[in-house]
Amino acid sequence: MSVKKRIDRTLKKGLIIKGVCCWLVLALSAVASDGQNKIGDVSDGSLAVPVHVIGLLDGEGDKISPDIEPVLPFSTRQTCSACHSYEVISQGWHFNAADVNAVPGRKGQPWIFVDPGTCTQIPLSYRPWAGAFHPEKLGITTFKFTQLFGRQMPGGGPGELESDDPDDLVRQDVSGMLENNCLGCHNAAPGQDQAEYAGQVARQNFRWAAAAACEIASVKGAAVTQPDTYDPLMGDAIATTYRENTFDHEKKVSFNITRKVPDQRCYFCHSNIEVGGHGPEEWEADEDVHLAAGLTCVDCHRNGLDHNIVRGYEGEDAASQNPLAASTSCKGCHTQGRLGAPVPQHPGIPPVHFEKLTCTACHSGPWPEQMTYRGKTSRAHALGTHNSNKSADALPHILYPVFAQQSGGKIAPHKLIWPAFWASLKDENVTPIPLNLAKRAAGKVIGRRMLLPTGDWPALTAEHITKALTLLSSDESVEGEAVYICGGKLYGLDESGKLGEPQEHPAAQPYIWPIAHNVRPAAQSLGAHYCTDCHATDAPFFFGAVDVDSPLASGQDAAKEMVEFQDINSFYARAFAFSFVFRPWLKVVALGSCALIGVVLLLYGLKALACVVKALSQGN
Amino acid sequence: MFRIVSIIGFIVCFAGIGACCLVRPCKGCGWGGGQILGRLMCLFLLPFIKWRLSLLGILKKLVYWVALICFFLLLVTGFAQRLLLGEAISGYWLMLHATCAPVFAICLALLALMWAPRCVFRWGDWPRLEGLIRRVIRLEADAAEPAIEGFNLGQKITFWLIIVLALPLILSIVSSMFPLFGTHGQELLLDAHRYSALLLALAAIVHTYLMIRIQMKE
Repeated sequence: MSVKKRIDRTLKKGLIIKGVCCWLVLALSAVASDGQNKIGDVSDGSLAVPVHVIGLLDGEGDKISPDIEPVLPFSTRQTCSACHSYEVISQGWHFNAADVNAVPGRKGQPWIFVDPGTCTQIPLSYRPWAGAFHPEKLGITTFKFTQLFGRQMPGGGPGELESDDPDDLVRQDVSGMLENNCLGCHNAAPGQDQAEYAGQVARQNFRWAAAAACEIASVKGAAVTQPDTYDPLMGDAIATTYRENTFDHEKKVSFNITRKVPDQRCYFCHSNIEVGGHGPEEWEADEDVHLAAGLTCVDCHRNGLDHNIVRGYEGEDAASQNPLAASTSCKGCHTQGRLGAPVPQHPGIPPVHFEKLTCTACHSGPWPEQMTYRGKTSRAHALGTHNSNKSADALPHILYPVFAQQSGGKIAPHKLIWPAFWASLKDENVTPIPLNLAKRAAGKVIGRRMLLPTGDWPALTAEHITKALTLLSSDESVEGEAVYICGGKLYGLDESGKLGEPQEHPAAQPYIWPIAHNVRPAAQSLGAHYCTDCHATDAPFFFGAVDVDSPLASGQDAAKEMVEFQDINSFYARAFAFSFVFRPWLKVVALGSCALIGVVLLLYGLKALACVVKALSQGN
Repeated sequence: MFRIVSIIGFIVCFAGIGACCLVRPCKGCGWGGGQILGRLMCLFLLPFIKWRLSLLGILKKLVYWVALICFFLLLVTGFAQRLLLGEAISGYWLMLHATCAPVFAICLALLALMWAPRCVFRWGDWPRLEGLIRRVIRLEADAAEPAIEGFNLGQKITFWLIIVLALPLILSIVSSMFPLFGTHGQELLLDAHRYSALLLALAAIVHTYLMIRIQMKE
């Protein structure tokens, strides 16, 4: 038999075997999707984590072998779903942002799109949170969103949705989908490199990101530089290399899988640091008291197979299906003494405080000062990724703590950003202008020379805004009146084409979201010293200054008072705080009066007793 | 619970006063416009009647007048929100309440000092009870003690009730301002303050009514 015929026969055999395997896999998946749990979905009760020595499957479901070219990255969807219901897991909180049926729950941190070149800083979310804009309103497709923010996403969600843009669809064929990265949380190996994951995502290597981030593989090349016709199954421009001795004799790989996610995994996406003049270095800041006490993130933030993780806020049980939503909140643990949580007595604190404030108001975030701090977060500032901007002034500018009234009526500490974006105003409704239009107009006016290496706002003037709005107004694709929102105000052109007076508008309101970490110990909570921690005429809780962040040079150095975010009359707050000056005197007067009354009662009581005694002694 | 108890308490108190007015009206009391005006004037001038206008007398009247005003303000600010809206006292009501409270406390202490001698219970206050006691313990009758003008048994009882209730009223709220009691204790102190305030208010209303009634009779 000739060599060629042998090769053909071998190929045919291989194809047949592959076909049978694919059919089996599909059949098994179909059976599983009929509601039957997979082997890894339900625990048998053993507290030990099963050892994961498993074969790797690529995106097509084929088993990966280092001997077979091309060497492909493993797919978490295919590999992990052999034993775990991937579709069920995808409904979890970390993955369901783009699911219109997912209950949004309490407002949270949005994704913040930043572009200093157009003076834009705008909160985005697929969840219908008030104040956050749907990415598609700015023309950001799911593909572009994944490239922008997939660095600190656990995969899935918009990363697995097909884009509506035909150009993106072609690119998605090259890049692949950003699947749920199970290893991003559950890989306990120290070699799990989420910074590498972020780098891969930035290069549009969605298909390769999970493999590149874990300790067993490395990936060279970038999908973003490949042509639309690049076939990842055939080409070698993006090469996956598995480290030596990764595969055993059965072509299986050993993963160090953990059920209890280490804090390091959470920190990559959920870190936070104060910046600026009074921001401490990381080593100077105290960690959350719960972590210092030995708890881990997942001791409170728990979930089952559905990955519907506990977010931990009061009232979450009304929005979440997680049965532990109520019992793993602050009250849930600290009234029951769970996990060794001390049961607080709160001596001297009137009960009305617990009706007006959340636990976090006194216990969470940094101790408030006269000015709000500026902070950076992982997701907003790409902390932990390669070449992240370490400047304290890098956009977005996040201010905190801002003590504001949240939706339930209680005051809680929040983080805040002042949105800045170009928009169109029609019938009092503000709609962000797609980014490409904003770039064409504002980007042209602002120019690269104005950009700062720190990533801070360029020095925007009224003239720049006027020119940009004029350009936008002449663009036919802009429906309604072109406006610019920044610093809590809405700017538009008047009839003469000049910049009008800034106006108030709901769309210009700051976006705020509650914070809960870091929790301070009881001795460092508000009120631990005296009532005047909050009830003083200069107390930051009510009278601290909240910076109004604005790219407009004339709008900088403006500030609002904290009380404006609390639905409390400023005069009343001041008068009430002033009354505490006299509180010690009130106590002295009251106790003195009581003493006098007590003496009178004692005196006349003894007299009455003497009468009674006298009467009784006189009786026969 | 407190709201219901308060409403019932005030209804019973005012109903009792109304019944007393109907069953045993004062001489010259009536429901004509002039007579109602007369009663209001009497109430207004109450502190200035019967006492000598010495410096001490003026001081006593002033203390009584201030106590009455403070009582009225504390009554309104303390009960209005609770009874009418079912809400706890808050806002400017709370500030006014906290401003009047120490003044009222001082006035109560001074009134206790100034009026205690007049309000000592004597044998002539309640003849029937006196007779009963004497029969029970076979006490020989002493020489009749001279009655003190203007203070009958009811006034004395309500006076001492007010003074006695002032202690838990003031101490409960002042104690809550020190870091002594936890949340449960704070709630108990607040309940103690509320209920002692209610009882004191009812006693003060009855006392004031009796004062007016005595003045009207004379």
